[in-house]
Amino acid sequence: MIDRRTQKYDRQLRLWHAHGQSALENANVCLLNGSAVGTEILKNLILPAIGSFTVVDGKAVEVADLGNNFFLTQECLGQSRAKCVTQLLNELNEEVEGKFLEEDPTVLIEANPSYFQQYSLIIASQLPTSSLLRLADICWETNIPLVIVRTYGLFGYARIAVREHHIVETHPDQIVDLRLDCPFPVLRDMVQGYDISQLDSMAYGHIPYIILLLMCLEEWKSVHDGKLPLTSTERSQFKDLIRSKQREDVGENQNFEEALAAAYRAWTPTKIPSHIQDILQDSAADNITEHTPTFWVIARAVRDFVTNEGGGYLPLAGTVPDMHADTESYVKLQTIYRTKAREDCAAVKERVKSILVSSGRSQDAVSEEEIERFCKNAAYLKVIRYRSLKEEYEQCTLTGKKIGNWLSDPDDNIVFYVLVRAADLFYERMQRYPGAGIENVDEDISPMRQCVSELLAQWDRPDAAVSDDLILEIVRAGASELHTIAALQGGIVSQEIIKLLTRQYVPLNNTVVFNGIKSGASVYAL
Amino acid sequence: MSENMPVQSNGGVADLEGRWRDIYTYLERPGPLANDGFEPGDQVKEFLHTLKILVIGAGGLGCELLKDLALMGFTDIHVIDMDTIDISNLNRQFLFRASDVGKPKAEVAANFVMKRVPGVKITPYFGKIQDKDEEYYNQFTIIICGLDSVEARRWINATVITMFDEEDPETFKPIIDGGTEGFKGQSRIILPRMSACYECSLDMQTKPTTYPMCTIANTPRLPEHCIEWASVLEWAKEFPDKKLDGDDPEHIKWLLDKASARAKEFNITGVTYTLTQGVVKNIIPAIASTNAIVAASCANEAFKIATNCATAMNNYMMYVGDQGVYTYTFELQKKEDCPVCGGKAIKVEINPAHTLEDLMDLLMDRKDIQLKKPSLRTGTKSLYMRAPRMLEEATRPNLGKQIRELMEDGEEVTVTDETLPISIQMTVRFTE
Repeated sequence: MIDRRTQKYDRQLRLWHAHGQSALENANVCLLNGSAVGTEILKNLILPAIGSFTVVDGKAVEVADLGNNFFLTQECLGQSRAKCVTQLLNELNEEVEGKFLEEDPTVLIEANPSYFQQYSLIIASQLPTSSLLRLADICWETNIPLVIVRTYGLFGYARIAVREHHIVETHPDQIVDLRLDCPFPVLRDMVQGYDISQLDSMAYGHIPYIILLLMCLEEWKSVHDGKLPLTSTERSQFKDLIRSKQREDVGENQNFEEALAAAYRAWTPTKIPSHIQDILQDSAADNITEHTPTFWVIARAVRDFVTNEGGGYLPLAGTVPDMHADTESYVKLQTIYRTKAREDCAAVKERVKSILVSSGRSQDAVSEEEIERFCKNAAYLKVIRYRSLKEEYEQCTLTGKKIGNWLSDPDDNIVFYVLVRAADLFYERMQRYPGAGIENVDEDISPMRQCVSELLAQWDRPDAAVSDDLILEIVRAGASELHTIAALQGGIVSQEIIKLLTRQYVPLNNTVVFNGIKSGASVYAL
Repeated sequence: MSENMPVQSNGGVADLEGRWRDIYTYLERPGPLANDGFEPGDQVKEFLHTLKILVIGAGGLGCELLKDLALMGFTDIHVIDMDTIDISNLNRQFLFRASDVGKPKAEVAANFVMKRVPGVKITPYFGKIQDKDEEYYNQFTIIICGLDSVEARRWINATVITMFDEEDPETFKPIIDGGTEGFKGQSRIILPRMSACYECSLDMQTKPTTYPMCTIANTPRLPEHCIEWASVLEWAKEFPDKKLDGDDPEHIKWLLDKASARAKEFNITGVTYTLTQGVVKNIIPAIASTNAIVAASCANEAFKIATNCATAMNNYMMYVGDQGVYTYTFELQKKEDCPVCGGKAIKVEINPAHTLEDLMDLLMDRKDIQLKKPSLRTGTKSLYMRAPRMLEEATRPNLGKQIRELMEDGEEVTVTDETLPISIQMTVRFTE
């Protein structure tokens, strides 16, 4: 009736369905450093059954690791952290294969850059800046998604760097594509053949609102030179027109109420949203080769569909929202929309096939389901091109301009990004983090303040202010790794990784800072 | 696993000096963002390691909470859960394995964390929160809820708030509450009578989707309508004495067949086993990541409240992860006439020519109090009581009587309901 795996993963399959699940199961991720936040991320990926993972870590387990990392026990003390966390993580799900490499990630990055090519995604946790920048370059060059994560006292930081991420199923709250202002022939014929004067009061109270709107709009256009209601006066006249169709003998008016509430859909012209237009016209869809990602192959087919069969419109989504109606008229309406959507999609499929063949690929290289999902979601696609870490760190003026603006609000969480960057600068100089491993915290305050000033000067924002209280607080934190922040940041980052790997829902662009005192996250495009 | 490691009787563990280095970094140092009254040093560490904290629910949030609290230095943790482990829990409730299916969640979760984190004591209770009395709840310093039902939350909220005696500070118990749905979730802090309580925000709850009975019976359009028809109408007709069990595959299969037949008759597509089970059980999608975020936020607040090492959140955080990352943290306002923490009577206006039954309907429609089976009495007489049966029979004729026959304008009426452990005071004003 229903297999064990479907039962086990039921609660997540309702979010990303079987095809999302198989994308997850085909992924192979690498974690650098088996830190508290690192193992928390992996836990949240292993449970939903990511394909496989590898932990790279050169450290031996210290006693403080036992105080914040759940995937270590007392008997791990002194042993390889990579080995120990992998063993305990492997217990979480027998379907997931975990491996480990006992090597310092900073050494590996320098010595063997090609090592990372085998993975679908790299997670860099608690890595010092110099190694991080090197790793980011490697991932950028080889087009491997990189997710960076840090916890620092009561604060968390994460950053995604991917050259290009495209999403078909962004999962909007609802998909609405009714074409009321431009009904396709079958829909128009249906409405014209609808003789409402013959209906009894029961049937009249159950005319779907889409039919009511189409009828009224047709009538409106016939006396307004084919134009839609444009001004607010016209729009209220249009609503009066809808009201005028109500019949005294019909007790229930729910369908008319729905028509009035959705009247704006009738006067909103159907057009391709500009960000979708941008995607269809993107140069990535210009010259299709055998290496072009399938997203761009279908985008090209849709571009050509729009200018040919589509007559300027996207392929129809084919969904009809539920509405007050009798079964027969609703199902009939639904069938009309679905049939038209299938026809549109069939045309797109033909175009995909011929594009594939002419670019030297098998005509079945893109699955029918993938094309169908693309057509259904065509008005909700999304493409994110991330800024690289290199750009963030090297284009100081641009980065500084953004940061300076955010810093002008003293309550903005960007200050914690600045402080962690300053702590990294401190580390480069002292080979320890401010406030870490010392008795007297006060002695680090002034060198830390110096680091903040230098950073601000580097960004051309010497005037920007970071309060002494916050500098003191970050020195107090002493680069401690608290389990709650590791778990929280691990949760945030694993959600983002699931979105990246399933190519469903919208991942963050590109940095998130979590403030564990006020409890809130802020997102920045850095 | 760690038999060779001696565990001291006081709960502290030998050879683990330095284990709490990262937590102590915060607890040994003063800080500008610490809460008023924070005293760094041994006393606060000792307090953290000895206070009693209660976790309600050992499911998706509960498993995370037990781990989080144990690794934040809490060592005396209690956990209550009435459920046993189901296979569909394994995609996120990481303390459970396939071999644990059918066992009590609270016990398995407690044992797992105790085995993993040396020195922590977790006391499980396999049963309902309603089994426990005030004396039990009074032993805790903080109560954290990882629940999936509105009713259980209302019960614990009302119980803990009613317990608070302003002359006895020991009875003041902060409640930290978390909830998730798919990529979204929320966490909040309830300080009895100081900040908004669960009841104050009852109207923020999204009610589960319901379908009008006439649609289900006469004009089905969606597969869900066919499933509701099978589960609400047909099941009761076919098995009047059998309760529908959404976890029983036989039951779901029966509904699936019925719903599919109806869907076919009406040319409706899309009735599947998954959808049938989803509609019948009102299944909410759940993943490990979101539970991790919300539980960690709750545990983080518990740590700050317990130690004062930083100010606590004020007082509600929403997390939305499906379209980028978005949080909204705000101060949820206390409601002056909250029936649980407000101490003021709620006001109801009604035409005195209407009947007592009309007044009941009016009460049950109110989203802010959400009553299911209210009983009503004035200071002097019972208006309508649902139990015991004798009293119900005696008061039933009042339902048809006009309000003006039963009470005065402005009279106070006490409302009780089985969903609430407390009663609600209501002032009835007449409109003409």
